[in-house]
Amino acid sequence: MRGNALRWTGYGIALLTVVLAVVLASRFGHDPRLVPSPLIGEAAPDFTLEKLDGTGTVGLADLEGEIVVVNFFASWCLECRLEHDDLVATSNAFAGQGVTFVQIAYQENSNASLAWLDAVGTSEWTHYLADPGSRTAIAYGVFGIPETFFINEDGVVVGKIIGEANSLILGRTIDAIKRGERPGQSVTGDTQQRP
Amino acid sequence: MSERTRNTLFVLALAGMAVALMWLALSNPTEVDRVNRLGASIMCPVCQGESIASSPSDMARDMMAFIAERVAEGDSDREIVDSILASYSGALLLDPPVSGPTLVLWLAPLVALLAGVGVIIWWRRQPEPGPEPEPEPALPTGTRSKRRTAVGAMVMIASVAAVVMIVGFFLQERDPALGGLADIAAGSLEDYSNETMEAVIATYADDPQIEGMRLVLAERYVRINDYRSAFPHFFAVANSTHANDDQLVQALLGLAWMAWDGNQETQAALGLLDQALAIDPDSVIARYLKGRVLWCGSGEVTDAADLLTAILEEPDLPEETRSVVAADQAAILNGEACR
Repeated sequence: MRGNALRWTGYGIALLTVVLAVVLASRFGHDPRLVPSPLIGEAAPDFTLEKLDGTGTVGLADLEGEIVVVNFFASWCLECRLEHDDLVATSNAFAGQGVTFVQIAYQENSNASLAWLDAVGTSEWTHYLADPGSRTAIAYGVFGIPETFFINEDGVVVGKIIGEANSLILGRTIDAIKRGERPGQSVTGDTQQRP
Repeated sequence: MSERTRNTLFVLALAGMAVALMWLALSNPTEVDRVNRLGASIMCPVCQGESIASSPSDMARDMMAFIAERVAEGDSDREIVDSILASYSGALLLDPPVSGPTLVLWLAPLVALLAGVGVIIWWRRQPEPGPEPEPEPALPTGTRSKRRTAVGAMVMIASVAAVVMIVGFFLQERDPALGGLADIAAGSLEDYSNETMEAVIATYADDPQIEGMRLVLAERYVRINDYRSAFPHFFAVANSTHANDDQLVQALLGLAWMAWDGNQETQAALGLLDQALAIDPDSVIARYLKGRVLWCGSGEVTDAADLLTAILEEPDLPEETRSVVAADQAAILNGEACR
């Protein structure tokens, strides 16, 4: 009897170990950066940042009452390059409609960001800002770029896109926010963590 | 004093000194100590399994500087950690908190240890095997074997299910909230705002599937008499190599309507309508619109009446369309002015 019990106990432990190992190992392919942002549903962290071209500052408080789309980008980020035209087009399309786009350079000096933006073109309606010391990136919990946050008219973070955004998803998210919805978080693709 | 006593006192003295040093170190940490200790407890968000204290990345350096600022401002450890977790969530903690769902992770080794001790105690208390008991009235060998296999299979399935449920429970919080925006993107065109369509069209102008969206948007603009916004979309479709015949006709009709209604350009409108009818000679809308332009624009009432009469001869004409066309035909035949 003791032999049987021991044998079954051994089988059970071995089986549990194997299953646990398989399940945990399967998580190695998952990105731990894809946790739901705790900012969603909360007041958006305030910021006042200098424009990349040094012509002044822009603060979130200046945009009170508007839908604000905050995008973290860098010229060294492939996905940021891929989504750039969509951000410009969407910003232009929603100009004057109570929607403002803010793009914040992440882990990059202003000159490098500016040189790239000059080469690819910008929207005259978008604010392009510097974030020395990454204080705003830390406040928004940025894991990698591109990451895009949506702040509603009440100053609450109501959406986040992790990865490359396009004009369709940007526009549809803004449409939803205008209807009073809270779209939440979505993962559209990869992000880059550093140059 | 015996040698043993001296040795004991010596060991106790050393232990006392060690405890005192540790107490001093822990009770009076410098600001640098605090920054390093806090940094060691927070995972670098742009690295793999490294703390921000040990990572050489720029982001980790910035986060350490942020912690140093907060320490210098007099914030407590709890306040500093909470401010970071408020943006990043608890996933950034290298040590999961000893509370909530992660409490089980801390307790699991203890439970496993106690279970192991329990098994050993139980095993040691089992009586030694005595003489061989009388054999039970034996089941057939095959039956016993099947029963054993079935019990084994059930134990295995239950174990797998339990482990998957437990692990799934812990991993649940870390899953991304898929859906959300993706669900929105799957909606119909009717739900799109004009601005969204403009943005999509601007970025996907060369996509063969964009013509449908252009026409929906242009029709919306026409309905509110915003011909200026509608024009570029009708024009783009009319000149597109991707558009199908229906889309071409719809775009030409839109341009014709705007030329006539917006700019009173009768000949331009008639030219565009003829292009549409060359593609689809049966188009009721093109023929009706041409009839109205002839009647109201160029005063060619006979041609206009003929066109409307031909439309009315179609047996499958929807009743609503028939009544509209018939009213205009009657007005033309009665010599009434265009209305």
